[in-house]
Amino acid sequence: MGKIKVASIWCEGCSGCHMSFLDMDERLVELINKGLEINATPITDLKIPDEETDIGIIEGAVATDHHEEEVKMMRERCKIIVALGDCAVFGGIPTMRNYFSKEELLERGYITTESTVDGKIPTSKEIGKHLPKTKAVNEVIKVDLYIPGCPPSADAIYYVLKEVLEGRIPKLEGELLKYE
Amino acid sequence: MDKIKIKVNGNEIEVSPGKTVLQVLKDMGIHVPVLCHYEPLMPQGSCRLCVVEDRGVLKTACTTPVEPNMDIKTDTPNVINSRKLVLQLLFSERNHYCMYCEVTGECELQDLGYEFGLDHFEFPTYERRFPVDNSHEFIMMDHNRCVLCRRCVRACSEVAGHFVLGEMERGIDTMIIADMDVPLGNSSCTSCGLCAQVCPTGAIIDKRSSYLGREVQSEIIYANCDMCPVGCGMEIYKKKGANFIVKIYGDWNSDVSRGLLCKTGRYLSLYDAKERVVGIKLKDEFGYRRLHEDNLINIFKSKLDNAIAYVDGSLFNEEIEMIKEIFKDKVYSLYPNESPIPTNIKLSELDDKEFYVVINADLNREYGAVGSIVKRNVIGKKAKLMVIDKEFNSLAKIADYVFNIKDLNLALDILKKQKEVIIIYKDINEEEKSTLNSLNNAKFLYLPKETNSIGLQKYGIKHEKAKAENVFVFGKNLEGIKDLPLQNSFVVVFTPYEDEILRRADVIVGTTNGFEREGTFYNLEGKILKKEKVLRPDFDVLDLKSFLSNVLGKTEKVS
Repeated sequence: MGKIKVASIWCEGCSGCHMSFLDMDERLVELINKGLEINATPITDLKIPDEETDIGIIEGAVATDHHEEEVKMMRERCKIIVALGDCAVFGGIPTMRNYFSKEELLERGYITTESTVDGKIPTSKEIGKHLPKTKAVNEVIKVDLYIPGCPPSADAIYYVLKEVLEGRIPKLEGELLKYE
Repeated sequence: MDKIKIKVNGNEIEVSPGKTVLQVLKDMGIHVPVLCHYEPLMPQGSCRLCVVEDRGVLKTACTTPVEPNMDIKTDTPNVINSRKLVLQLLFSERNHYCMYCEVTGECELQDLGYEFGLDHFEFPTYERRFPVDNSHEFIMMDHNRCVLCRRCVRACSEVAGHFVLGEMERGIDTMIIADMDVPLGNSSCTSCGLCAQVCPTGAIIDKRSSYLGREVQSEIIYANCDMCPVGCGMEIYKKKGANFIVKIYGDWNSDVSRGLLCKTGRYLSLYDAKERVVGIKLKDEFGYRRLHEDNLINIFKSKLDNAIAYVDGSLFNEEIEMIKEIFKDKVYSLYPNESPIPTNIKLSELDDKEFYVVINADLNREYGAVGSIVKRNVIGKKAKLMVIDKEFNSLAKIADYVFNIKDLNLALDILKKQKEVIIIYKDINEEEKSTLNSLNNAKFLYLPKETNSIGLQKYGIKHEKAKAENVFVFGKNLEGIKDLPLQNSFVVVFTPYEDEILRRADVIVGTTNGFEREGTFYNLEGKILKKEKVLRPDFDVLDLKSFLSNVLGKTEKVS
């Protein structure tokens, strides 16, 4: 069996889904033995996925122009896109900011926070700019598989990756399908 | 009526006409997803999740009556796809993201999502921001969570009879509103809380029970409310392994209240903040000192000669029986408890009458379940209502006739002309009693003051002011002590709440209260109802029932 290359990125999320990915523990070794090759991920600290990647996993919602570019690059380079966790699947907690304007959001985050003294809104060009609305990944690119959950259980991630490795289309049901 | 033949998923069956397709499918054990449908309420067919196919046409199972030659199919791709599409639309219309919702884990919309394997939203969501109405003391309305099923509207009108909730605008602009679109807290809401009980999502939630725990983490205890003599059926959710109540629901299967509860039963019974009497206290020249229960038994027994007992209607039958056993015929009631005109109608017969008369009781504020029954018939079924009172009565605004009690004779002329009148009354004097008794087309429902007034009546305990060397008082409402001839008497009071009047007592005993005690009582229709013990007392208090059985030397086991 050939290698199945996996890349993952982390957009507007809390890293909980990647923690859950690592929470597969020894089952990760099992998947690697079955041919899973972990390529560019926040875990390996490589930012750009290979051009011929098989599975692209996206954690987090699309909140800035940087996120938008990253998920589009993932779509170009990966055969299967997996939205991992509630933020990627539904938009999640980050969409709470859709109820406020960008100005209100930055003001609250950098200036009026109770613990902040002499706060300043960062203006560096290297920082991504907020989109008008935080979106689920499937509002920006086509997504093939969804694993909701906050975070999704290691069992759910394991099940999905195993099914894909064995050439089947996974369908989350029962205990594996949770929105919380 | 003759049975009719229909086909369900290819099998021919015979069903009785008059049933809905949903009822037939349910009887056959076929699962049909529903959201707006709620068994005790009139079906409405607005969510369209229960659609089934009949000869190629999609029909809502909950509102379609069975008719001959139907060919129902419940699992065709057409049915399944339609249900999935509806569910996707429901999820995307407002904010149905579970992570920031209080009811996640027991939400009917969430359950449907799981049932249909919904793992993402197909339509963009979060386009609109709806208001959150936090103006009400007990209930919060978050319109972002609303699926417009109108269960709350139907429960508020059909069952609770208040007709507070309604809707405005149409389509996706529809909003659930209170009265003429005022904040719920400023509306005519009586805080019965039924809307929060029937809401399938987190759109209407009970503030107190928020984040205290899910239904699966609770044990359910069925008991009757003892806050007033109606005795509504309660479904009490107690957190497993903890000593608190998460929430109280009305019990739909209760033959007293059939789902009804009022503000007092659902909320006030849990918000009790009155200061409690803790321990057993004996007065000496320095003030009060604490006593052990064994010493209390000795004092109690030594004072039984030349002793009388006063009780109030908060006592349960078991307690009254034992007090009678100890004090024989020297037991008196602190308050009058006779029914001027005995009750001759049951609560279950109160619906569908043509003419109701309410005397001296504002049923929006007291005896809420009786109020609900009257209101749902008066507003919902156009029955006539006459309100007779000596002061302001909020029922007057829906009444056909309003009289001052002084003009009872004028009212009587109207009542005599009716086929049948239902008179719901309290606090009437002898003259008014004989006036009302002259009616021969009337059924009476007396509203006693205290929970177990009828029990006191049944045990023959009368309101009298007797004198004795030793006076024992048992009860919650101590107002009546002020009028007792207590000069030079040794006074022992068993009560749950601190009160100014207690300074007159020589021995004060803190007793269990509310959900800490169990026992039976007679409700206003004379039914024996049971209050269960749900909580362990948080204070050093005495359980009256077990104390009295100790005094009597009965070896009753008390948990």
